[in-house]
Amino acid sequence: MGTEQIAVEGEAAPELSRRRERRLVRAAQDGSADALAELYTAHWRRAHRAAYLVVHDAAAAEDVAQDAFLAAVDALDRFDRRRPFAPWLHRIVVNRALDWARREGLRRRVDPEGAAEEGVEPAGPELGDELMAALRRLPPEQRAVVVLRHLLEYTPGEIATMLDLPRGTVNSRLRRALDQLRETIGADR
Amino acid sequence: MSERLPFQANSARIGNLVGAGLREAPVPVDAGAEDRGLDVVLAAYAEWRPERRRNPLPRLALVLAGATLLAALLLSPAGASVRDWVGDVFSAAPAPSRSGLAAIPGGGRLLVQTSTGPWVVGADGSRHRLGDYEEASWSPHGLYVAAAAGRRLSAVEPDGSVHWSLAAPGTVRDPRWSPSGYLVAYRAGSGLRVVAGDGSEDRPLDESVAPLAPSWSPDGRPDLAYVDARGALRVIDAANGRGLDRATALAGIQWLEWGGAGSRGILLEASPRRVRLRPVSGSHPRGGPAGDRHHAGAIALGEPRAFHLPAGETVEDLALSPSGNKVAALLGRRDGAGARRTDLMIFDRRHRASVRLLSVPGRLAEVAWAPNGGRLLVGWPRLDEWLFLPTRPVAGTALAGVAKEFASGSGAAFPRVVGWCCRSAPDDAG
Repeated sequence: MGTEQIAVEGEAAPELSRRRERRLVRAAQDGSADALAELYTAHWRRAHRAAYLVVHDAAAAEDVAQDAFLAAVDALDRFDRRRPFAPWLHRIVVNRALDWARREGLRRRVDPEGAAEEGVEPAGPELGDELMAALRRLPPEQRAVVVLRHLLEYTPGEIATMLDLPRGTVNSRLRRALDQLRETIGADR
Repeated sequence: MSERLPFQANSARIGNLVGAGLREAPVPVDAGAEDRGLDVVLAAYAEWRPERRRNPLPRLALVLAGATLLAALLLSPAGASVRDWVGDVFSAAPAPSRSGLAAIPGGGRLLVQTSTGPWVVGADGSRHRLGDYEEASWSPHGLYVAAAAGRRLSAVEPDGSVHWSLAAPGTVRDPRWSPSGYLVAYRAGSGLRVVAGDGSEDRPLDESVAPLAPSWSPDGRPDLAYVDARGALRVIDAANGRGLDRATALAGIQWLEWGGAGSRGILLEASPRRVRLRPVSGSHPRGGPAGDRHHAGAIALGEPRAFHLPAGETVEDLALSPSGNKVAALLGRRDGAGARRTDLMIFDRRHRASVRLLSVPGRLAEVAWAPNGGRLLVGWPRLDEWLFLPTRPVAGTALAGVAKEFASGSGAAFPRVVGWCCRSAPDDAG
């Protein structure tokens, strides 16, 4: 299989100011590859992390992040640059990650032996961490709202819009997810 | 972002702990993943940009390149029906007809599958039907054709005489002769099998595989790539059945092709929405010469690199060039008025670039590379033509009246080209 080394994600790129981001989006819409590259660099790690925390598969997370940026390029001329870039991108990332996780879940139900054999369980270097293990046990729909809420810091209302869900559904998923996570991390802290 | 969660009192504390954990959790990332993604995204952006933004030079260059190709096609002796296409695109035009297969541009022989069976088309345009077979593929030097009918696999000479034949335990599909000529892999029922090139030693390789043709290593070693029923891409030594490496195959994979490039070639994997190339590397500590049936060597599937498909386009057929450096793909889409169009795209692996070589209304049937990689054959059922297109802007050729050349009393469906033979001179290996 792959011969390249698996590393652990390092330092995030510095965050862009709102003003700088708006300029970059405008420049990218006007044809600047440098501007697009800067936007990519500023957002890739966070997008990749969000994708990974939903799919728990390094290769799939890379694909999801790449696909999200490709979708963003395809839709760049329709993007309203008065709005922030990140929520737009994160919406694509999380929805694609959810799609992947659902498909993978279905595949595992159909062929549990093959799924285990193919390493669907995470192969990351340090995933014995309790929180990661607990997160992994959540259904992907709950993982997605946890990631959007607690990693990317969107409000339940924003998450509802991003996932095209009623806000009550988002809240109930968050509540159920945190109840489960609390058992792992809440009791001993 | 300051909204409070509307449940238990310590939820905020738990949420903060979760948030900190998610931000700090080690996330495995493949070395170079970010850069690879940036390359792909910038390549996609380079395609996107000329379509709609200022920067007239690339657009002009594209127009000029297209005009050069069109001019070359129009000026070619057999380009009459290409003029129909130009008329179809730019204005209404009468459709002069030409018929009759002429010499194959660039030479070689074609293997063509029709509703009445496979035909061999000679370099001079002569043709010969092989028999009542449902599928066929060339042996490496075109001395034989591996042909399937029901549960029977046969090695057939180009004149139609049967060299050998065997009964398989299931319906035979996708026979593929190894480049060395020593082995033929095929699917039988749900399994994968292999038989020696002389029809002996027929044996199973895997009991359950995906409905996809296997593909041999291009370097002549008996290494075979296929996708198993669980969606794993596997490479095995077909001489002894030993697994060499495996990886997760592209989801929804419909095309798998192993071509020549790099130390052990390159694998093309494609689904209707994804096209990617995976380098293969390896060593052969006890390896003998190419074609050695008993070598034992290491092999490693590298990380795949995806090509970006234009939005809204789906792969209808594709083929890896003989060098393994380019992929020709027919991409279907709907235009602004909802009409179907098909584009012929060339993806260049080394230069990470893509070129749209053709864009026509309707459907193109299939694409095949000439054995020397210098031309592409594209079937155009609507005009009943095969287009022989250069990959550089020199004269192209169209052969018209294709379907009726293969009609034998039961209709004239447009035939499918399943092989263009051959890259090198025949020898005793098949």
